[in-house]
Amino acid sequence: MAEGAYELLALAMRYVFVLIGALMLWRAFRWMRRDARQYQRDMRTLPDAGLVGEMVDLQTGRAQPLPREGTIGSSRECDIRIKGTGVLRNHALFAFEEGKGLRVTPQRGAQVLLSGTPVKGYAHALHGTQLQLGDAVLRVRLFAGLDVPFAAAYQMEAPDIPLENFYSYEDGADAAPSLPFPAPGFEDGAAADFPPAEEPLPGYEGNYTDDGQMTWQYAYSLEELRRAQAEMSAQEEEEGALPYESPVPRRRRRRKHE
Amino acid sequence: MSKNASARRRDPARGMMAASMLFFFVGFLLLAVKDGQWQCFLLSLIVPLIIYAGTAILPRLFPADKLLLSLTNFLCALGVLILYRISPSRGLNQAVNYGVGVGCMVLCTLLVRYVKSWKTLTVLMMGGSMLLLSLPLLIGTEQNGAKNWIWIGSYSLQPSEIVKLALLLCVSYLLSQRKAALSILFGGACLVLLMLQKDLGTALLYYGLCLVMLYAATGSLALVGAGLAGGAGAAAAGYHMFAHVKARLAVWQDPWKYTQGIGLQIVRSFVAIANGGLWGVGLGLGNAGNSTRAGGIPEAHNDFIFPVILHEFGLIFGVIVLLMYLFIVIRAVMIARRSNTAFHALLSVGGAALITIQTFVIIAGNIKLIPLTGVTLPFISYGGTSMVSSLCVIGFLQGVASRNQAGVDEDRALAMQGGDVP
Repeated sequence: MAEGAYELLALAMRYVFVLIGALMLWRAFRWMRRDARQYQRDMRTLPDAGLVGEMVDLQTGRAQPLPREGTIGSSRECDIRIKGTGVLRNHALFAFEEGKGLRVTPQRGAQVLLSGTPVKGYAHALHGTQLQLGDAVLRVRLFAGLDVPFAAAYQMEAPDIPLENFYSYEDGADAAPSLPFPAPGFEDGAAADFPPAEEPLPGYEGNYTDDGQMTWQYAYSLEELRRAQAEMSAQEEEEGALPYESPVPRRRRRRKHE
Repeated sequence: MSKNASARRRDPARGMMAASMLFFFVGFLLLAVKDGQWQCFLLSLIVPLIIYAGTAILPRLFPADKLLLSLTNFLCALGVLILYRISPSRGLNQAVNYGVGVGCMVLCTLLVRYVKSWKTLTVLMMGGSMLLLSLPLLIGTEQNGAKNWIWIGSYSLQPSEIVKLALLLCVSYLLSQRKAALSILFGGACLVLLMLQKDLGTALLYYGLCLVMLYAATGSLALVGAGLAGGAGAAAAGYHMFAHVKARLAVWQDPWKYTQGIGLQIVRSFVAIANGGLWGVGLGLGNAGNSTRAGGIPEAHNDFIFPVILHEFGLIFGVIVLLMYLFIVIRAVMIARRSNTAFHALLSVGGAALITIQTFVIIAGNIKLIPLTGVTLPFISYGGTSMVSSLCVIGFLQGVASRNQAGVDEDRALAMQGGDVP
């Protein structure tokens, strides 16, 4: 190609290159912004994202969200922060391992008991396992659906029932031993401390009783319930049919009646 | 229109990929028209094809971050284009390096995606790193004042570029296990070996990386302050120990004093940038890349590739390139924020820090913001090791992004099953 013509072409193409570069940059910017919004939306629908359960402090009853991995200790930087005598600032590391459970690794100089057994090196905690760090006692609770061995139930400590509460008809007893009634805490006939009633969810107001308890209908929104009710009434008025959809196809059923 | 076709049409990756392919098709075609070489015609087809394979086919094999892929592929292909413009043989070599780099990127992605225990690998990598960094001291050759290259047959290799990846992985693992002292010890040992090789540019890179990761892991300003003080001490010691450091500092203070000697490169770089102006002189019309011609920059293919881009494509395009680096770094930080584990978060932060520091050190050196040190511009500068190591960092980021996506999918599945404690 002639030098002059190439020069003209190259000079013109400078603007094309800048334009394509700017276009790519603009698209990348929009892409990042859209992706960030989408991620925020996803996270709103998944409030437990990144968590595998919770750890309950058995002395205070306080539950703390349990991330996939982190540290337990008294330091503010720790993911699970507990206070107590003998709890170090960074007491132990934990990490969830699929198929194995929550791997707990005590830090140097720290002692951890896993359901009463001292941990040497590391050990895996399962759902219901009790952790003791210093004088603090924690209960591991893992989400249902996680890939964890089901041995947890057997590791849980059985409640300590006094022997005298057991009885047998063979021993000649004809009735259960007399136990205090009403049970302790229920003497005045009042209900135990139930958790406070939740605020009705928007759109589900009809699913709460007057005292704020959720009813069995919680799976349907108010609009869905009203629509279903209206449909049922209309169907009843029209043909006096059953208020539910029969598993038998309607056409065949009619023929049968005829 | 089917749902899939509609989703494909809305996919922003397609638009970016098409723009990128068009850019390089036109670019290589322009050079081919000028020189009439068949290799250039071939590259005008092959490079867009590599971009297509890297951006459209790879994400079908595993969940990858397409934005990161698009931006990285653009920068790598820009490197091939500009290197072909400077020297066709180097351009062709770089195209091969680019292909090898994409393969290594896939391997690194799979490594981060599927390796569950890093303990043994970390120990092996730490030992291997010490060995690799010792090799140039024993059998290495000196280039530009630094003894950091080794030759294996007819191939040259810069071990510090490979160790850079090992350092990133090891420090991420050690810090995630709360072993800060061991990570400082390992980083310090690497720095000492680099100082012995007189490879101060890479030493600066390692130092910055360790400092950023230490801060990200511990949040301790005292530790960072101590690191900065140590770095200042090492810089002062380096100034007194090495003659080429003194020379570079003198050039940085007043390059116009040394226009025919040690300041020649940087002075010619200024002239090239100024000649390029806002829109550049046009692809194939500049003379900055050819060191044999008047005004040519001697190390144009390596340390001074950015001034060549500014010369031929102009300042506006240079800013666009810088913004692309910025977007890559922002994306890496976003990946780090979405990670589920400390190791993966630190790996992503380290990757972002590595790209940022390397880009800043070389571009700031080119425009006399800081004294010039010999590091490559990620994805663009000539060199197989540099290209492969830069793409491996992107591979690590892709691996973390892929794990993040798997984590979100798992959380979604858990939420569907109740997602509550039984």
